[in-house]
Amino acid sequence: MNPLRGWIRLAALIALLAPASLWSSPASHTRYSLDPAASSLEFTFLQAGARSKGRFRKFDVKLDFAADAPETSRLEVIVDVASLDTSDAERDGVLRGPDLFDVARFPQARFVADRLVRVAENRYEAVGVLTIRDVERQLRVPFELRTAASEARMTGEVTIQRLAFGVGQREWRSTEWVGDDVTVSFALRLLPAAGRAGQDE
Amino acid sequence: MKLRNTTARWGAVSQLLHWVIVALIITQFVLASIAEDLPLGMEKLATIARHKSVGITILALAVVRLVWRWVNPTPELPGTLKPYERVLARVTHGTLYALLFAMPLSGWMMSSARNFPVSWFNLVQLPDLVPPSQTLYEIMHETHEILATVLVVAVALHVLAALKHHFILRDDVLRRMLPFTRTD
Repeated sequence: MNPLRGWIRLAALIALLAPASLWSSPASHTRYSLDPAASSLEFTFLQAGARSKGRFRKFDVKLDFAADAPETSRLEVIVDVASLDTSDAERDGVLRGPDLFDVARFPQARFVADRLVRVAENRYEAVGVLTIRDVERQLRVPFELRTAASEARMTGEVTIQRLAFGVGQREWRSTEWVGDDVTVSFALRLLPAAGRAGQDE
Repeated sequence: MKLRNTTARWGAVSQLLHWVIVALIITQFVLASIAEDLPLGMEKLATIARHKSVGITILALAVVRLVWRWVNPTPELPGTLKPYERVLARVTHGTLYALLFAMPLSGWMMSSARNFPVSWFNLVQLPDLVPPSQTLYEIMHETHEILATVLVVAVALHVLAALKHHFILRDDVLRRMLPFTRTD
């Protein structure tokens, strides 16, 4: 047998088996998906001088995380806005209505970050775009991420201005009885996707 | 007029507390009836917020009033009262005092149960008395309304009795709670 042909075969085998992108980026990504039962997404707003709390019951989170290259990580949060719950059906109805979230026209809110910035041990900022109704705004969301073999815990909060996203039309533009600031806080349990560890894009 | 009560006459502090609370209770009925007919909007939020603030004010004044009553003499009921009238007076006054606490507290619990926490004039947020619960909210709402009806009945008795003392019995029971009047 021609020894050169043997070398070519070996080279071809290596090229097939080795993920090509492993050579272009040293980052090893882990894909996480949400454990909805063990996660919460809440919002706190000031109403008539009193802080009140609500939450979204349905939302999805996908995190593609590279501990050694966080800037190549990606975070995507999609919220089913109609699932909002402030423990009062009448208020929930008003919030879903055209002057506030207008869920008939804008059923989803999204936050998509195409990079993470490490600010300290286990602390990051997701740099991305938040979309509520039809308004997109740049947003940095600080959070803490603790990863283990079987799960990751992600917690944090960020304060946004509802009027910047048009959440408050007509009489709800006023901030006299409903404050502009809304604090969104999250405590998420993320599960690594089975068999999807490693670079795959 | 003296600040403190005597056994014959209410002092200035008691009179002030009595009449300020009267004015605040009337305000409460007006605010509640305005809010009742409004759809959930800014105006309703504003009206109910004021109703809550005034209610908490009444609760605080009720505490002051009770303490002041304990550390002062109480003007005596006239000796002309029949025994059942004495009982009726005691029960009516006791009910009115109890309602000064029960009305605001049931309203506060109702707010907590509905997850509309109470703020006192946008200055201080009060803690929630109960966790959010639709069932509890409905029970407290019903309680608040029943107590309001009891209050109307008790106030009616109280006012009619005062007028009877003044115009029929011609004693000084009403006058001793009025400023700028003389009692013998």
